[in-house]
Amino acid sequence: MEQHTVRRSAFRWPGLVAFLVIVGLIAAFSWLLLDTILKWSLERTLGTLNGAEVNIERVEHQWVPLTVELSGIQVTDPLQPDFNRVAVGDVRGELSWEQLLMGRFHFEDVVSTGIRVHTPRATTGEVYQLPSKEQVGGWFGEGMDKLQLSMPSVDEVMARVDLRTPAAVAEAKTSFEQQQERVKAVMDKLPSKERLATYEAELKALTEGKIETPVQLQERKEKFAELKEKFAADRQALQEFKEIASTAAAELKTQMEKVKTAPQRDLDRVGELLQMNSQGLSEITTVLFGEQARRWADYMLLAYEQLAPMLMRSADETALQPPRGEGIWFSFTGSDAPPDFLIKKARTEFAIGPTVLDVDWANITHQHQQLGQPTTFRARGENNALWSSLQLNGELALTEAGFDARQEWRVQGVNLARTALSERSELAASILSALLDSEGNVALRNSQFDGNATLRLADMVIEASAENQWAAVIAKALESLQRLDINADLKGELMNPDFSLSSDLDRQLGQALQAAAKDAAKGELANLRQRLTSQSDGFVGEYQEELTQLTSLLTDAENREARLQEMLEMKLQNQLEDKVKDKLKGLLGNG
Amino acid sequence: MLTLLARLLRALNSESGAWALAIAFVLGMIMGFTPLWRVHNLVILLIALLFRVNLSGFILSFVICSGLAFLLDPVFHQVGFAILSAESWQPVWQGMYDSAFWRVVQFHHTITLGSLVISLAFAPILAILSFWLVTQYRRRIQVWFNKLKIVQALKANRFWAVYSNLRG
Repeated sequence: MEQHTVRRSAFRWPGLVAFLVIVGLIAAFSWLLLDTILKWSLERTLGTLNGAEVNIERVEHQWVPLTVELSGIQVTDPLQPDFNRVAVGDVRGELSWEQLLMGRFHFEDVVSTGIRVHTPRATTGEVYQLPSKEQVGGWFGEGMDKLQLSMPSVDEVMARVDLRTPAAVAEAKTSFEQQQERVKAVMDKLPSKERLATYEAELKALTEGKIETPVQLQERKEKFAELKEKFAADRQALQEFKEIASTAAAELKTQMEKVKTAPQRDLDRVGELLQMNSQGLSEITTVLFGEQARRWADYMLLAYEQLAPMLMRSADETALQPPRGEGIWFSFTGSDAPPDFLIKKARTEFAIGPTVLDVDWANITHQHQQLGQPTTFRARGENNALWSSLQLNGELALTEAGFDARQEWRVQGVNLARTALSERSELAASILSALLDSEGNVALRNSQFDGNATLRLADMVIEASAENQWAAVIAKALESLQRLDINADLKGELMNPDFSLSSDLDRQLGQALQAAAKDAAKGELANLRQRLTSQSDGFVGEYQEELTQLTSLLTDAENREARLQEMLEMKLQNQLEDKVKDKLKGLLGNG
Repeated sequence: MLTLLARLLRALNSESGAWALAIAFVLGMIMGFTPLWRVHNLVILLIALLFRVNLSGFILSFVICSGLAFLLDPVFHQVGFAILSAESWQPVWQGMYDSAFWRVVQFHHTITLGSLVISLAFAPILAILSFWLVTQYRRRIQVWFNKLKIVQALKANRFWAVYSNLRG
C-alpha cells in the first residue's frame, strides 16, 4: 500500500475567518460602548486638567459629520469640593476627521449652553490635586471675622488708659513746693521797705545838710560810698530774687496750664480708645462687598479663572503624567505644526440668573505659539432683564513665559436683586435692589494680574439688622447708603490674585462709629469729665493764690530794685562839690 | 486553564513543528507584553490565526506575559521614555508623528514603544530557546517523563481525562 505524505498548507484559512470575527466583535463592542468609553475618557482627562472630579451626565456621538455632544458637565472646584467651579448644560462640537486621524482634536464649531459658575454639587467632588496654601487663601482675607462687632465699655478703656490729670496735678504740686522753697530761700536776703526808707533818709541827710569845710565834704563822700556799697549788695539780692521768682512763676504757670488742660486731653484720649475698635473696619468695603464682588469677578474673569488653569495644565506634561504603569504620550509637534487641540470657534451661553450672556470665542488652544494667534473672546448683551448694556472683549495666549492676556469690560444698568452681603448673626445685610455700573480692564503678563475697575452702585436699598449697638451702627450706616462707588484693584498671580476694594464707606462708617461710641459712653464720659475737672479745679483753686502772691512779690521786688537803682544813680559828689564851691565863692566875694 | 495546559502538552507530544510552537510563544509574548489595544496586536493576532502557529502555546504565552507585563511596565516605560527622549532620534520621531499611520500605531506612548522594543529584542532569543526546549523535550524527556510514577498517577485523574478527550 502506497503511503502519501500530504504537506499541510502554511495558511490556516479558518483562522482568517476567526480573525475577521474577532475584529468585527471588537468593532461592534467599541461601537456600542463608544459613548461610555468617551464619557470615561473625558471625565478622566478633564478631571486631571481640573485637579478635581469632573462628571458628565451623558455623551452622544454622531459619525457624519463627526460630532460629540456632552450634557450635564460638572467641574468640581478643587478649593470648594462642595461646589462646581463651572457647570455646563450642553456642549456640542464638530470634530475634523482629517485632524483626528493625525491625533489632533480640532473642533470646527462648538456650542455650549447653560454655563453657570459656583453651583452647589449634589455630592462632594473628589479632589485629585490639592491646591497650594497660597491658592487656598481667599481673595479678601479673613472676611467678616475681621470685624470687631463689640462696643468697648468706658471701664475697659479706663483700665487701658493712662489718665494724665492726676499725674499732672501731682507733678504741679511737687513743682510748686520746690519753687516755693527756692523763692523762700532768697526772700530773706531781700532789702525790706524799712531799709529802703532808711537809705532814702540817709541819702537825704547827705545831700541836704550844710557843708562848711572840705573835710565835711570828704566825710559825706565816704559815707555816700558806704551807702552805695549797701545799695549794690541789696540790688544784687533783688536781682537774684527776681531771677528765681520769675523762673518759678513761669514754671508754675506752665504747670498750672498743664493741670487745666489735662482733663480735656484725658477725655480726648478716652474718646480715641473708644474708637480703636473701629480700626478693624477700615476695610469694611472689602469685608462687606468682597464676597459678592468675587462672584461678579468670577464672571468677568471667567476666561482666566476657568480656562487658563486648564490650558496651563494641558500644556504641562508633568501635570498630566498619569499614574505609574500607564506611560506618557510624547508630543513631537513642530513649531509650525497645527496645535494638538483647537476649537476654532465656540459660542458659549452663560446663564446668569434669569438671563443668558452669549460669549463668542475663537482659537481656543493651549498651543498659541504654534497657531500664531491668541484665543479671543467677545461678549455683548443689551437690554435684558439684568442689565441695559454689557461689553466685554479680551484675548489670551499661553507663551513660554506664562499667560499674556488683556480684557476690558463695561457694563451698565445691572439690576441687582436681593443679594446677600453678610449673613452673620451679629450683622445681616442684603442689597434689596440696586443699579450697578462697572467698567475696568485687566491685563495678565507672564501670569501676573494688573488691573483696576470701578463699581458704581446707585439707587441702593439695603436691609441690615444687627444684634448689638456697635453692629447696629454699621447696619444703620448701610441702610442709609444710596450710592456707593467702589474702586477695585487686581494684582498678583493668576491663580492667587490679590483683589482689594476701597470706597468712601470706610470713612463714613468710621465717623458713624466714632459718634456712636461717644454717644454710647456719654454718661460715663460726663462723670469722668467731672472727676477730672474737679481734680484740676481743686489744684488751680489751691495754688492760684500762691501764684498770684509770687507774681506780686516779683512786682514788689521790681519796684524796690527801681528805687535802689534810682538811688544808685544819684550824682551826690557833684551836688556836694557844688555846695562847697558856692560856699567858697561866698566867702571870697564877701572878703 | 487545565484545558489549555492539556492542549499544550498535546502539542508538545504531537508532531507539530517545534518552530510553530516557538513562534507561538514569541507572538504571545509580544502581545502579552505590549498594551492590548494597539494596532500591532491586530497584526499579531492575524499572523497567529492565519498561519499554522500553535494557538495553545500562543494563548498560554500571552496570558503569562500579560501577567509579567504588570511587573515590567516601569521598565517598559523607562526604556520607551529614553528612546523617545533621545536627541538624535528626534527628527525620526517628529517625522513619524506627522504621519497618520504611525500616530495610529501609537509609537509615541512610552510603554507601547518600550514594551515593543524589548519584546522584539527578546523575540529571537525566546524563539531559539523555545525551539531548543521543544526539541530537547521530545528527544530526551518525553519518554522518560511518561515513565515517571507521578505522571502515571496523574494520568489517572481528571487532568488526564481532559487530555485524553482532547486526543479524541
